[in-house]
Parts: sequence; C-alpha cells; structure tokens
Amino acid sequence: MEFTTNKIGGYAVLEASGRMDAVTAGEFEKACGELMDAGETRIVADLTGVDYISSAGLRSILSSAKKLRGMSGEIRFCGLTGMVNDVFTVSGFAAMFKLFDTAADAAQD
Amino acid sequence: MTGSRMDRHSLAVRLAALVLGVSALLFGAVLAYNYFVSRDIIVNQAEENSRTLGREVANHVAAELRPVEQTVRNIALALEDASLTSGEITSLARRVVQSNKDIFAMAIAFEPYGMAKDRLFFAPYCHRTEDGVRVTELGGPDYRYFYMDWYQLPRELGAPVWTEPYFDDGGGGVMMTTYAAPFYRLQDGRRRFAGVVTADIPLAWMQRVAQDVRLYDTGYSFIISRNGTFIYHPLQELMLNHTIFSLAEERGDSRLWDLGRDMTEGGTAFLERVSVKGGVESFFFYTPLHVGGWSLGLLFPKDEVLREATMLSRNLLLMGGLGFVLLAGGVFLVAGGVTRPLRRLSGAAMEIAGGNLDAPVPASRRNDEVGELTDAFAHMRESLRDYIRSLTETTAQKERIESELRIARDIQMGILPKLFPAFPEHDEFDVFASIEPAKEVGGDLYDFFFLDDRHFCFLVGDVSDKGVPAAFFMAVTKTLLKAVAPQSSGPAEILEKVNEDLAEENDSCMFVTLFLGILDIGTGEVRYANAGHNPPLLLQGDGAQFVPPLNEPMAGAMPGMRYTEQSMVLGAGDVLFLYTDGVTEAMNHDRELFSEKRLTDLLARARTDGVEGIVGLVDRAIKDFARGAVQSDDITMLALKFTGKKGA
Repeated sequence: MEFTTNKIGGYAVLEASGRMDAVTAGEFEKACGELMDAGETRIVADLTGVDYISSAGLRSILSSAKKLRGMSGEIRFCGLTGMVNDVFTVSGFAAMFKLFDTAADAAQD
Repeated sequence: MTGSRMDRHSLAVRLAALVLGVSALLFGAVLAYNYFVSRDIIVNQAEENSRTLGREVANHVAAELRPVEQTVRNIALALEDASLTSGEITSLARRVVQSNKDIFAMAIAFEPYGMAKDRLFFAPYCHRTEDGVRVTELGGPDYRYFYMDWYQLPRELGAPVWTEPYFDDGGGGVMMTTYAAPFYRLQDGRRRFAGVVTADIPLAWMQRVAQDVRLYDTGYSFIISRNGTFIYHPLQELMLNHTIFSLAEERGDSRLWDLGRDMTEGGTAFLERVSVKGGVESFFFYTPLHVGGWSLGLLFPKDEVLREATMLSRNLLLMGGLGFVLLAGGVFLVAGGVTRPLRRLSGAAMEIAGGNLDAPVPASRRNDEVGELTDAFAHMRESLRDYIRSLTETTAQKERIESELRIARDIQMGILPKLFPAFPEHDEFDVFASIEPAKEVGGDLYDFFFLDDRHFCFLVGDVSDKGVPAAFFMAVTKTLLKAVAPQSSGPAEILEKVNEDLAEENDSCMFVTLFLGILDIGTGEVRYANAGHNPPLLLQGDGAQFVPPLNEPMAGAMPGMRYTEQSMVLGAGDVLFLYTDGVTEAMNHDRELFSEKRLTDLLARARTDGVEGIVGLVDRAIKDFARGAVQSDDITMLALKFTGKKGA
C-alpha cells in the first residue's frame, strides 16, 4: 500500500491506495500510528485509491479507531467506492463510523 | 583430488613436471649440441689423421721405390753406350741385383738382333737365389719377350713404367711388380729405341707397410694399381684376382666404381661409406701413392672413430640422468612441501564438505597465501558451523510450530460437525455444509444444532484475519454460540450476547461476521439475524436472490451492539445457501474475483436436487474458475433445504 498525508483544517488526511488485505493491513495501522505519534487525533482516511479490503483490513481500521477513541480522537472515512463501500456496508462499519464523499467534506466542523 | 595422495593432477606433480620437463629439454639440447660438435671435431680430426697417415705411407713407399727407379734409369742411361759388351752388360745387371736388396731381379732386354747381328734374343736376366745371383737368358722360342707388356709399354710410351703386379712363379712365388725403362742408342745419328731395362721388385714389404697401418681398432688400408687391381687388401682373395671395378660390378655398387675411377686418376677424398671388409659404416680416405699411378685407401669404422664422442655423450647422459633424478627428488620434495598444507587443507575441506563440520582444519604455521587460505577456511568453517547450528534450531522450531499449527487446524476442523446426513431421522429438512481450509489457519466456522424439538439453529461465520489468533477466536465464538443459543429468545439476542462476550477485553480488535438463523421445522419459518456477514442466497423455484441485508455490525468489535431479528417463511423445496467471502472472493491467476454475480447466475441455473449437490456444484465451479490459483481464504458453504414434509 502507499500512503500520503496532508492537513485540512484540524484534520490529518491519510490518503491510502492499493489493496488492504491480510498482508498489507498492518501498513495502514502503522501509518495511523505514525500520525498519532505526531499528535494527530483527528484523522480522515481517504480510501479513494483502495480497490480491495479484506476482513484483516477492517480489523486494522477497527484497531486504529479504538486507539484514537482512547485518546479522545476520531477517525472518519471518505472516498469509499465499489467493493470497499459494499464491505463497509455489509460489515456494519458504515453504521459505526462517519462516512463522507470527499476529504473536504470530512474535514468540516 | 583427495587430500593425502599426490595423484597426477596434483599441483605438486604438475609443478614438478614443469620444472623437470624444462630441465630435461635443456639438458637434451645441450647433450645433442655437445654430441654433434664433438662428433664434428672428431671426424675432422680423423680426416686429418688419415691424411697424415696417407702421406706417411705414400712417402714411405716413395722412399723405397724412388731409388729403384733411379737405379733403373741410371742403367738405361749407361746402356746407351754402344761399346758395352754382352759380358759387361750381364755383369752390370748382376752387380745391380747384388747391391740392391730391394731389387729381386734385373733384366736388360735388347731389340731383336740389337746386341749382335746373329742373335735374335739378348736379354740377360739376373735374379737372386739362395745360392747367390744367377744369370739366365730370358729370350727363347718359348718366350718371345718383345711382345710382353713390360717390353711393349715403355717402348711405345717412350718412358719408364710400373707394370701391373703379378705372382712370379719363377721368382719364389711372391707378388712382384716390375719397373721397366726404355734405353736408346744413337744409330745413324739418330737416337733409336734399343731395349728395356727392368727391375723386379717384390711387394711383400709394401704389403707389410700397408698391413702395419693401424687405424683405430679394426681399420685397414688397401692399395690398388693404375688399373684398379688390388695390390694389397686384407682380404687375401682379392689380391691380384680383382680390380676395384670388377668388385664394384660383382656387388652392383656403382658408387664404388666411381670411387675406383677417381682413385686410379689420382684423386684424394674423405667420405663415408660401408666398408668392403666387414660391411660396417666407415670413413674412407684415399690418396695417390706417387708411384706407378697407385692409390692408397684407408677405411676405419665410424663407431671406433666416434667412440670417444659417444662415450663422452654417454657419460654426459649418465651424469645428466643422475642429476635429473636428484633434481626430480628435490623438486618433488619442495613441491610436495609447498603443496602439503594445501593438500591437508583440501582433505579437511572434503571432509567438511561431506558434512563433518567438526573435522579439524590443519594449523597454519606460515604467513604465506596458504596460511591465509587456511585461516580463512577455518573462519568459514566456524561461521558455517554456527550458521548450521542456528539453522538447525530454527528449522526444528519452525517444524514444531508448523506441526502445532497443523494440529491446531485439525482440532479447529474437528469441532465442526462433519457427519452427513446429520439428521437422518428428520424428513422436514436437509442440511449440508463444507469447509475448504486455506493453507494458513483461517477463521471460518459453521454449525447447526437443535435448540429444542422444533427449532433448528444454523449459522456461518468468518473471523477477521487469519492465523492462530483467528482460529482461537473462531473456537471461542463457536463455543459461545452453542452455549448462549438455548438460553436466548431469538437470533438477535444470541448475537448481542455473543458480541458482548467477545468484545469484552478484546484488545486485539478481532471480530467475526455471523449469519445465524433458526428454522421452525414444522412451519418453515426462519428467524434470522446478521452481524456483518454476506447475505445468504435464497433458492426458490427458478430463481436465486439475496436475502435482503440490514448491514448491522460484525460481532466482537465493540460492546453494546444491537441486532435486528428478521424472518421469512420457506416453502417446500426452498433452499437457503449460506457462505463466506472465500466463495465470492476466490481468485484466478488474473486476480479476478469469482464474484456474487457468478454465484447467483450459477445457483439460478442450478437444478440440482439435494443440498450436497448444490454445495458440490459451487465447489467445482470455484475450482474451475481458479484453475489452480492459490486459495487465499477458507471457503465455507452451508445449504439448508426445507422439504415441508411432516416428521415421522
């Protein structure tokens, strides 16, 4: 997976691309961990470039979300397409997290 | 190459072979050069020797015969005095024979009627006998001397000649030759031929001189006359019986003929040829004798001439050979010494390469390249030994883990019901399930069991992630479900309770998706709840459609989740097909997914009776699609068919 980070307002935007499967899921967790270490507690994960997510990918998201919750932080998602959107829906992630169309939308308020 | 032996490919042998080969070559060249140079010197010397010897013999012969010639010529001059009486002439001849030991006989032969008008013959012949000198008359009707060679030749030539040698029967059976000189008298104011004075010379002394010529061991000399007749030859039968030309013809030796010609013409030469006597390779020297056109030949075997050169070479060869052997010994010793550590090292290397890492590496006592190599090798052995030790441990550990994983997998699979038909006593429904584990330990599960006589609970689940943690989580989930289900009012409550239990202290953030349904086997009503799992397919009549999802969260992630119970009623023959994402996300080599569309299309077309047939159909379709691509996830399927029949 490849990651780029930037900042919009009070949110750190983490743009991910590639496949989030059992092999690469750890990379997402690590990227989030680095942002947290840098003091970011409000993160927007832009998954526009992610074309596949497995249950391991979901677990790494959940793990990061739990850590942020422990720091009174939050993770939001945007750019969910195709299969990733379906998985979020079916797995109930859509009900557990706030989802937006774009990073700009997610970084509001 | 083996360690201890010096076989023909070993470094030492090759080094020694190189040194010895070069030495042998050099030595051979020196030896050959020496041989040829010394041979040349010796041959030149031999030629010089034979020239000197030839000259000596010629001088000796000349010294013997010149006085004879002189005497005869003096007599011839004296006879020009016409006043000499026959008695004076006879006494002249007698005195000459008496006073010249070398002259055996003398004849003074006059022309017919030359001495007296009344005497046809006048040829007093004085020859030596045991009793002194006897005088006889040569001429007579039996011996008309005017026609003999010894008379005719000087007469015709007008000069003294040496006649061809002959055996003189009358003169004691010895080989003789005759010197014949013409004498003249003034007659009518002109100098006219008057007769011939001859002196017979025995040739025994000359044969002795020739015989005494010592040339090396078996060399010999021979003398031929102007006509090529053998005057002396060590082979007795040749003497006077053969000329050099008749010999050449007899032997078919044209070269000998040519030589004979050159000899009789007074030539001198030094050359190589095969000797007549003995037939050995010889050097041949010939030179004229200055007397009578005779020629002296000297023959001496090459072997004897070159003996010294050969001996010198043999000695050199012997010394060289000895030196070579010593050198070889030395070279082998040094080369062996140089390569011995290498050979030891090589032996140790072979042993180590064979697997014995404890084989000792020979201690290096030197600071040269071999020493460095030995040190490097010892270091390599240590590293290798450490590496193999650690590799062995790691491998053993890995094997243990793998074996434990296999056992874990077996245990995990063992807790799933595998016996079909599961409930042969119930006609109301039929159920079949299968799980195709991926290579890694996965977290899929299915289960079915009766809650009471009427209510049949069935479920399919998928734990996030893989590996041993997932397997544990799966086992816990299954156990919890079975424990919780009988005490709950419905599917939603079961999921909620399980979620609470799983989410508690779930630091690893693992979760499980679950679809759980409860069938009333009497009515066909199914109550169900879904914790984030793929919606099942309902196969009804000619169609297959997804059971509408509510998209509620998976279990175990967070406490406090609420699930909604839904229900549907199955008609007779309806089938519910539950599966995990291992089915729809099975991949082929082009990384295409099997997809939900392929699954629904397949099942819509499927007109297979029986739950086992349906599961088998999907299983085969997935395998055909994947075409051997590695299966990355567990593939789990459960098919439930409601028959609508009443229980027995």
